[in-house]
Amino acid sequence: MSKKNDTHGQHPAQVPEHAPAAGAHAKPHGPSTSTFVTIWLTLGVLTLVEIFVPQVYSAPWNRHTKVLLLIFLASAKAILVAAYFMHLKWETRWVRWIALMPAYMALFAILLMCEEYFRPLL
Amino acid sequence: MSESHSVTASVPHDEHVGHATGGKVAMWLFIAQDGFSFGGLLLAYAMLRTWSHEWPNPQHILGIKFTAVGTFDLICSSLTMVMAVAAAQRSDKKALVGWLTATILGGLFFLGMQAYEYTHLVHEGIGFTQGTWEGHPINPLFGSTFFVVTGFHGCHVTAGVIYLTFILFGAMKGKYTRGGLSSSPVELVGLFWHFVDLVWILVFTFIYLL
Repeated sequence: MSKKNDTHGQHPAQVPEHAPAAGAHAKPHGPSTSTFVTIWLTLGVLTLVEIFVPQVYSAPWNRHTKVLLLIFLASAKAILVAAYFMHLKWETRWVRWIALMPAYMALFAILLMCEEYFRPLL
Repeated sequence: MSESHSVTASVPHDEHVGHATGGKVAMWLFIAQDGFSFGGLLLAYAMLRTWSHEWPNPQHILGIKFTAVGTFDLICSSLTMVMAVAAAQRSDKKALVGWLTATILGGLFFLGMQAYEYTHLVHEGIGFTQGTWEGHPINPLFGSTFFVVTGFHGCHVTAGVIYLTFILFGAMKGKYTRGGLSSSPVELVGLFWHFVDLVWILVFTFIYLL
């Protein structure tokens, strides 16, 4: 092990000999370029849909449909970025939980929306 | 210096974080706490807005289509970033330098658009503590919350561009294309950059579209 480490700098050709063995565990199912391009296209299409939502549902009685649709679209895009671009899909449950921590702020957002919704009734 | 950089070492399997490096776990913890900062700002914005008697329709004041271009630019720079990480992992120095440069250009383009947008808004009367639109006073909180939230994000893009530039210099020296774990600094800057993109997706929705 230490012998190989000493010589790696001078013989880069040797690296592929043992790199797959080391890398095989580190990246079990690495995503491919086509996956990334598909995610990128999906994000672009969802952004396009997002721009038209406020125009289609611009009437005041459509406000809740508009808000829910936009939050759904934004969440879908955020999850795609986190799962694929940030490789969370291939991380352990612990790393995913660390990443998910700030999402609990959404509870406060939901609380605020409920408060706003029921305020006229109080 | 370069001898201490062990390229063949693999991260031992950890019961909780698998083969994630210490750097990766640290970056995720940083991203989580940064997410709380953005979450706090967005919640403050939501509270101020729901408790305001009048709030201008952002669609009338902010350029949605203009900003949509910036949003798509950040999404594109996320794609070039994953390509950079993939290039580093297969030890392709030329591709790594190219994709990193593209990512930096994407970030700079976004910052340029933001500078243009801010100049335009201030010119039209939307200030940090006061606001007029087409000669009529509007809720000053509109400008305050807009500049605080998008400004905080803009600082993150600026920091990301500086961080990426340092990584680019290292990449040109071939520091990250020695195989094994040598590519991990590129993966870490990638995590930060994608986070900045992810936050913009939420900011774009809550500040511009809602």
